Amino acid sequence: MARMLAAWIGKRALGALLTVLAASILIYGSLRLVPGDPVLAVAGGRRLTPEQVEALRHSYGLDRGFAQGYLAWIGDALRLDLGTSLNYQTGVTSLITGRLGVSGLLILYSATLAIVFGSAVALVSAVKGGLVNRIATIAVAVTTATPSFVSAIGLLALFSVGLGWFPATGAGTGPADRLWHLTLPATAMAIVAFGVLARVGNAAFAEELGREHVEAARSRGASGAAVIRRHVVRNALAPMLTIVGLLFASLFVGTAVVETAFGLDGVGSLLVSSVSRRDFPVVQGIALIAVLLFVVVNTLVDLAMPFIDPRVTVGGLSR
Amino acid sequence: MLAKKTLARKEAPDGGAEDRRDALGVSRLSLAVGAGERAIPLLADVTVRVGRGETVGLVGESGSGKSLTARTALGMLPRGARATGSVTVSDVDVLSAGRKTLRDLRRTRASMIFQDPRASINPVRRIGDYLTEGLRARGVPARAAAERALDLLDQVGIRDPGSAVRRFPHEFSGGMLQRVVIAGALSTEPELLLADEPTTALDVTTQAEVIALLKNMQQVHGTGMLFVTHDLDLAAAICDRIYVMYAGRIVEESVSAALFTAPAHPYTRALLEASPSVHGDKVAIKAIKGRPRALAESPSGCSFRDRCPLAGDDCAASVPAHRPHGTSLVACLHPEQVTP
Repeated sequence: MARMLAAWIGKRALGALLTVLAASILIYGSLRLVPGDPVLAVAGGRRLTPEQVEALRHSYGLDRGFAQGYLAWIGDALRLDLGTSLNYQTGVTSLITGRLGVSGLLILYSATLAIVFGSAVALVSAVKGGLVNRIATIAVAVTTATPSFVSAIGLLALFSVGLGWFPATGAGTGPADRLWHLTLPATAMAIVAFGVLARVGNAAFAEELGREHVEAARSRGASGAAVIRRHVVRNALAPMLTIVGLLFASLFVGTAVVETAFGLDGVGSLLVSSVSRRDFPVVQGIALIAVLLFVVVNTLVDLAMPFIDPRVTVGGLSR
Repeated sequence: MLAKKTLARKEAPDGGAEDRRDALGVSRLSLAVGAGERAIPLLADVTVRVGRGETVGLVGESGSGKSLTARTALGMLPRGARATGSVTVSDVDVLSAGRKTLRDLRRTRASMIFQDPRASINPVRRIGDYLTEGLRARGVPARAAAERALDLLDQVGIRDPGSAVRRFPHEFSGGMLQRVVIAGALSTEPELLLADEPTTALDVTTQAEVIALLKNMQQVHGTGMLFVTHDLDLAAAICDRIYVMYAGRIVEESVSAALFTAPAHPYTRALLEASPSVHGDKVAIKAIKGRPRALAESPSGCSFRDRCPLAGDDCAASVPAHRPHGTSLVACLHPEQVTP
C-alpha cells in the first residue's frame, strides 16, 4: 500500500514535471518567434555599431541555435538564474523574488476573500433557494462579468477617493499596514473569482442537497446544521477544491492588471512594464513561474483528492 | 409482547380504528402541494395502521403515493405540501409536531430504510460514522456508540465488524450495504420501521437474505414495520395485512393470505394477473390497460374507472367509500364481480 502510494505520487510528480518542461519550451520559443529585435529594443533608439549588436546578441544567447539556446536557458533557470533584464540591467531572479512578497500576499488575500464569500453565498443560496437564490444568481452574474480593471477603478473611486477608508497606491510597510494597503486590490481581484466560486459552489451544494443520503440523514434525525456540515459541505469539497486550484493561476495573471491600477510594485506590474519594453528575459521568467505555480497547485489538489473522496483511487487501489 | 403480536395478527382489517398504542396510525390523511385553485392533490383520505410488532404491506404501482405515505410518518413532507387528517407514531402527533419533536421522533421511535443502499449512505464517510450518527445525535457517548456499532454489524451478519466500521460504502456489495442500513435503522431501537422497497435494488438471492434478516430483526426487537413495495408476492409472503394503493388512495385493505385467493378490488385482481407466477400453469400475463394515474389526473368518482373492465356509470358519481367484502375492506361498488 505504501509502495503503491509512493508510486502514484511519483507518477503525478513526473506528469507535472513534463508539463513544466513542455511549457518551458513554448515560453522560450515563443519569444524568439516574436517579430522585432530585442537588441534594437534594448538599444532604445541609439545607433549601435554591428560589433556592439553582436556583443549584445551573444550576451543574451541570441546568436545560438534554438536547442542550444534553450538548453543554456533552462540550465541557468534550474540554477535559479533567469538571465539579466534588458531594461534594469540586473538579475531577473532577484527582480522577481523581490516582488513576490507583495504579489504572493495579494494572491493569498484575494483567494481567501473569494473562497470565504464565494462558499458562503453558494451555501446560503443553495440551502434557502427561492428568492435568495435568485438574488445571489444575479449578484454572481454581475460580479463575474465585471473585469477587474473596472472594479479596481470603482473601488478606488468609492473607498479611496470618496470615503478615504483605504489608500489608493502603495503596498505599505509592516504587516497590518500592508494588509490595509492590499485590501482594495485584493477585493478587486477577488470579485471575479468570487463569482466563479459562488456559481460552481451553488451547483455543487444544490446537487448534494438533492441526494438521497441527505434525505436519509434527515430521516435519522440529524440536525439541520449537522446534515449541512457532514453530508452537504463535506461532499461538495472535491469540486470546490478543483476550482480553487484553477483559481490560483487566474489570480496570478490577474495581478498584472490590479497591481498596475493600484501602483503596487509586484510581479504583475513588472510583467506589464517588461512586456511593453520587450524585456524578454523578465517576461520569460515570470511566465515560467506562473506555469510552475499552476502545475504545483493543481498537482497538490490532485494528490489531496483521494483523501477527500475515498472513491478516487490511488493507482488502481482505493485508500 | 408475543401475545400482543398474535392479537394484532388475528385482527381483521379494521379501517384504522384508533389505538394510541399503535406503532403507526395514519387516519384520513390528505396531502396537496400548492394552495387554492392551483393545488395539486397527492394523497386523499389515506388510512393506514401498523400495530406493534406487526408487518403491514403497502402495495401499488409507481406514483401511487406509497413512499409519500411512508415519508409522512416521519414528517418528511414535500416542500410546500399541506396535510390534513392525522398521523401518529406511538403517541406523537406527527403533522402538528415541531422541528424538535420530529427530530426526537426520528432519532428514537421511527426509522426508514431506503430503496438503494448505495444512494442512501453518504459515499465519502465511513461505515462507522454512518452507524454512530444517529446514536451520537441521541446523546450516546462516542465510545459507547462505537461499541454499539460493532455489535449491530455483528447482529446483521457482517463479518469482521472491527474492520468494516473503518471502510467506505463503495467497498461493500449492495446486499452487505443494505445490511448496514438495517443495522443503522435498528440502532435506535425504533418502534416503527418504514421499509421503502428495501430489496428492489438488490438481486434476487440477496433479496431473500435481506428480507429474512429484516423479519428476524423485527421479531427480535418487536418493531412494527410498514413494508412499501410494488411486489405483491413479496408483500404477501412477509406481511400480516396489506393495503393496496392506487392514485393516492387506499383501494383495498386485506389480510395477506386472503388477498391472493379473494381479491375484492378490480385493481388488486389486475395486479395479481399482471405479475408472473413461478408456480402452477403458465398463464399469459395480463398487463393492465392504460397507464398508472397520479391523483391529480385521475377521473372523478373511482380513480380506477378509466382502466377498470367492470366500471359502470355509477362509478363516476362519487369516490366509493370503503366497505367490507369478505375479509377485505374495499373501495369499490362492485366487489362481488371481482370475487363473489
